[in-house]
Amino acid sequence: MYGEQGIKLVQHAKRTLNLSHLPPYQTETVRAVTREVRDLDKDVTELLEPFQGSFNPSADQAVACTLLVNHLSMRRNKRCLLAYHRTRTDKLEELVWKGADVVDLSGQQVRGDPNAKDTPTSSLSPQEEDYVRQYSDLLAAYKGQWTDIDLTGSLEPPRDLFIDVRVLKDAGEIQTEYGAITLTRNSQFYVRQGDVERLIAQGYLQKLS
Amino acid sequence: MDIDDILREVDPTSSGVPNETSDLQSLTRLWVAERSAPELLEWPSGGLFERINDRIKAQIEKIEILTGDMDPKTNFALIVIQTELERYKFLVRSYLRARIAKIDKHTLHYLSSEELRSRLSETELAYATRHQALLHNHYLSSFLSSFPTQLQNLNDTAGNVSMIDSPDLDAAVFIRMLRDRPVTGQGTDADITLNASNGEVLILRWSSAKSIVEDGDAELV
Repeated sequence: MYGEQGIKLVQHAKRTLNLSHLPPYQTETVRAVTREVRDLDKDVTELLEPFQGSFNPSADQAVACTLLVNHLSMRRNKRCLLAYHRTRTDKLEELVWKGADVVDLSGQQVRGDPNAKDTPTSSLSPQEEDYVRQYSDLLAAYKGQWTDIDLTGSLEPPRDLFIDVRVLKDAGEIQTEYGAITLTRNSQFYVRQGDVERLIAQGYLQKLS
Repeated sequence: MDIDDILREVDPTSSGVPNETSDLQSLTRLWVAERSAPELLEWPSGGLFERINDRIKAQIEKIEILTGDMDPKTNFALIVIQTELERYKFLVRSYLRARIAKIDKHTLHYLSSEELRSRLSETELAYATRHQALLHNHYLSSFLSSFPTQLQNLNDTAGNVSMIDSPDLDAAVFIRMLRDRPVTGQGTDADITLNASNGEVLILRWSSAKSIVEDGDAELV
C-alpha cells in the first residue's frame, strides 16, 4: 500500500528521539520509499501521456483522482524521508557538539567513550559519515571565531571555580596552571573546572557534587 | 556585597568605568532576551562583542601574569578574577549557543529574506548558509537525487503547506515594563488593552510584545 514504508521511517525517527544512541540506518526502507516515489512518478507520466499535455480534470474525474492520490503519496513519502533524515542529522550534530568528532575522525583515542565511538561508525550510512565529517569542519570553523570562549563547553552556569572529580578511567597526565596531575583510576582530585571539562564530557572523570 | 564590588576593589582597570559595566549589563540583557524569545533577535551592533572579546583576552593575560605570584593576598584576588571570567565566558557561550540552536532549527526561514538575514552576524550567516548546503547535499545524496525533478525542492508551498518551518511567533513570553504605557495583548477569545506601569511583569504573546520590547519600553524576563 502507498506510504506504508514511509510510516516505518517516521516511527523509526520517533523512536530515535528518545534513544541516547543512534540506531542503524534503515538503508532498505529508505530505498523502498524512494523506489515507490519513482514508480508513482512513472505511473503519473504514463497516465498523462495520452492527453498530450491538455488534460482536463473535470472531464475525466477517475484519472484526476488517481493523479491526485499519486501526487499526495509522493509528497508524503518525501516528507517522511526528510523527517527521518533530519532527525538523524540533528542527533549527529548533537554528538558532534559533544565532541564525538575527535574520536570518530582522528582515531587517536582508541579507548574513547564507547557510546560516542561505536554509534557513528557502525550505524551510519556512508552519506551520514560524510555529513558528520563536514559538519565537524563547519563547527570547528565557527568555533575558531570564539577561541577564548570554548563554545562546546558546559552550558551549566559555573558555580565554583574548583570542583571535586573522581577518575573513572586512566587518563594519563594533564597540565594545569597549578602544575601537572596524574589521573589514575579511582583517585579523587580538587581541580579547576575549566581544565577538566573536556575529560568529564568524554567520560574519563566524574564530577562529584 | 557581591562579586562586582570585590572586583572593583582589587582590580584597578575595572573600577568606575561605566562603559564596561554597561557592556556586561547589555550582554546579560541580550542573553536573557535571546533565551526567552521564540524567534531570533537582532545581533547587537556597535562592536559590543569586539569589546567583550578584547576584555576576555585581557583578563586571561592578567590571570597568566598573576599566576606566578603565590602571595596569599593576591592569590585570592586571582581566584575572584578567574571565577568572574568563567561566568563571563559562560554568558557569552550560552548566548551564542542559544542563537545557534534557533538558527539550526529554522535555517531556511532565517535565510529566506533580507530582513531576517540581517539579524544574523556575519559568522552566523556563513555558518547557516554552509549548514543548509551541507544538509541539502546530504538529502540529495541519500535519496533526493533519485526523485523526479519537480519534487526535489526543499521550499515547496504546494497544498498550502510551506516546507519552510518558521518559529511560533505567538508563543507566550514574560516581559517587565520599563515605562508606563498601555499594552495591547491578543487573546484566543478577546483582545485586551490595559495600562501597565513601570516594573510590572506581564505575560503575553510574543507577536504582541515584540514592538514594545523593540521600543525599549519593556524587557524580556
